[in-house]
Amino acid sequence: MPNEADVLETIRTIARAELELERPVQPGDDLLADLGLDSLGLTILAVGLENRFRVKLSQEDAVGLRTVGDLAKLVVRRSEAAA
Amino acid sequence: MSASRLLGSTQPPPRHASIPEALRRAAEHPSGLTFVDAAESEETLLWSEVHARARATAGALRHLGVHPGDRVAIVLPTSPDFMDAFFGTLLAGAVPVPLYPPVRLGRLEEYHRTTARMVQLSGAVCVLTDGLVGKLLGEAVAEARPRLGCHRVSTLREAGEAPVELPVPPEALAAVQFSSGSTVDPKPVALSHANVMAQVETIRALMPVREGVRPLGVSWLPLYHDMGLIGCLVNAVAYPGPLVLLRPEQFLARPALWLRALSRHRGTLSAAPNFAYALCVRRIREEELRGVDLSSWALALNGAESISAEVARRFVERFAPYGFDARALVPAYGLAEASLAVTFAPSRPALRTVTVDATALAADGRVRPGDRTLVSVGRPVPGAEVEIRDETGRVVPLGTVGRIHVRGPSVMVGYLGQPEATRTALVDGWLDTGDLGFVTDGELVVCGRAKDVIILRGANHVPQEFEEALEGLEGVRAGCAVALGAIPAGAEGEQLVLLVELGAGTRADLADRVRTRVLERTGIRPHGVELLLPGTLPRTSSGKLRRREALRRWQSGTLTPPRKVRWLGLAGAMVKSAMAFARLDHET
Repeated sequence: MPNEADVLETIRTIARAELELERPVQPGDDLLADLGLDSLGLTILAVGLENRFRVKLSQEDAVGLRTVGDLAKLVVRRSEAAA
Repeated sequence: MSASRLLGSTQPPPRHASIPEALRRAAEHPSGLTFVDAAESEETLLWSEVHARARATAGALRHLGVHPGDRVAIVLPTSPDFMDAFFGTLLAGAVPVPLYPPVRLGRLEEYHRTTARMVQLSGAVCVLTDGLVGKLLGEAVAEARPRLGCHRVSTLREAGEAPVELPVPPEALAAVQFSSGSTVDPKPVALSHANVMAQVETIRALMPVREGVRPLGVSWLPLYHDMGLIGCLVNAVAYPGPLVLLRPEQFLARPALWLRALSRHRGTLSAAPNFAYALCVRRIREEELRGVDLSSWALALNGAESISAEVARRFVERFAPYGFDARALVPAYGLAEASLAVTFAPSRPALRTVTVDATALAADGRVRPGDRTLVSVGRPVPGAEVEIRDETGRVVPLGTVGRIHVRGPSVMVGYLGQPEATRTALVDGWLDTGDLGFVTDGELVVCGRAKDVIILRGANHVPQEFEEALEGLEGVRAGCAVALGAIPAGAEGEQLVLLVELGAGTRADLADRVRTRVLERTGIRPHGVELLLPGTLPRTSSGKLRRREALRRWQSGTLTPPRKVRWLGLAGAMVKSAMAFARLDHET
């Protein structure tokens, strides 16, 4: 079962390798305002996390989701529910 | 001087009168559809199974009360369920309306509004979906209230109703597709079976034939878009053969999946917009290509958005060592209103390009040599005619820019339920594409757009989508912003540019706040934000913003504030220099 730190590490890997973000990624970063992720960037991130942690993220999940930390918590919640 | 007119070769007669007829014949073929998932495991559905499942689904739809000619909205990812819904609807004599499924982590309110609007505009009697997507559709369905409700397609297929397969006349509608996915003015393009079958023939006529090689398609394209639906799926039914399908989001997340599938299956045919080729160059790592062999890929169509010669060159350079043949890369031009393709370039060792003076082109529509490179999209497909006309409808001389008009058997019946929009777009069988182009050396070159549409990553957007996102943003003069599509120097394709007039409460970080607002509301990141003094944007006498004129002036460097506010010049210069800090060009 992944914890938030595992998910955060994967988000950082995706941000560096796939999204080519050069800035460091912190849990408090806003996905849009700070990381500047567009719909393509969000898809890459979401699908990357889904494939790595075997969870399903949907559009419904976007409600109340603003930061990298929110996303990490969501993935942990989903994988607990799936277990 | 000769006129800008091009004529395709004679069109071969369609092989089938309708998609159901084609599917019935395909059921005898030993091939089928292969679905690839993220882990590259595969599931194959033979055409005979597609046919049998569609018959069962059609039976249930008929039992539900779906009549021939009724529209049925389909909101499903690329999956066997999609096939049941699409072909099941057709076998019931009804008309599928494929709509895009929700995007992961995207904005839900906007999605509900758009989906509800498209269901209403198409007059769909019911919505077909699956369990997962269905959970998200509640609000959209509640708003659109289709007469027969929302159903899981698997439940229908397994209901045990007597299978149905109704005959369909060629003039009946085969599909309704939306030319842009947005709440602002979406237009349902109505295509008949005759339109679609004619389009399939034209694609077929242009397909390179290699001795002893069976054609095999590979596609990650969305099935709610003409290039995926007609170019790949219907084409594979009409000339039955194997088709390998990936989900669009899986391709976006890992572009190597596309090339690996082509290699694994010895794919011969695959199409994609310009941005996909750019994505492959940029995001595929060498280790993902171990053992990949692209030498079977005979036709790599490049269409649905502006084509960059530079992207094409880099793609060839990067993948030639993996066996990719530069001659396979073929530019095409088309639009939903023409079923799909209007022109195809011939297969060549390198793309044919024209270099033009962008400023002169923007200023007076004259084609003069310069340093902007445009790609030739070739000649009309069989059965199609192309004319370049001026604003008064006269055909212009060669080498002059005008509006691209097209006529042929694949041109749409019209916009569903919108006679006025249809009359504007279609006159005497000629479709005004709203695109700008010119003819040179017997081929068409597309160089811009007369209609207010922005094409980003192969998807059409209307400018209002972005302009409305700025409503209420402090520092922006209310209603005084225009969104434009342009190809900035060094960019890999068309980008979103916003020209925004300053209003009360302007702060130095305004450009950044404009960017973030547009990103939040639309999921699209603007490439450039230009801040302007009040009154700079050109308007009509009734005060409406003139977007194309604003783009023309912006591109030719003549976008200047009106004389009466020039006294503000000094203050303006200070504001501008403050803004310059905020104006970062994010490379996507």
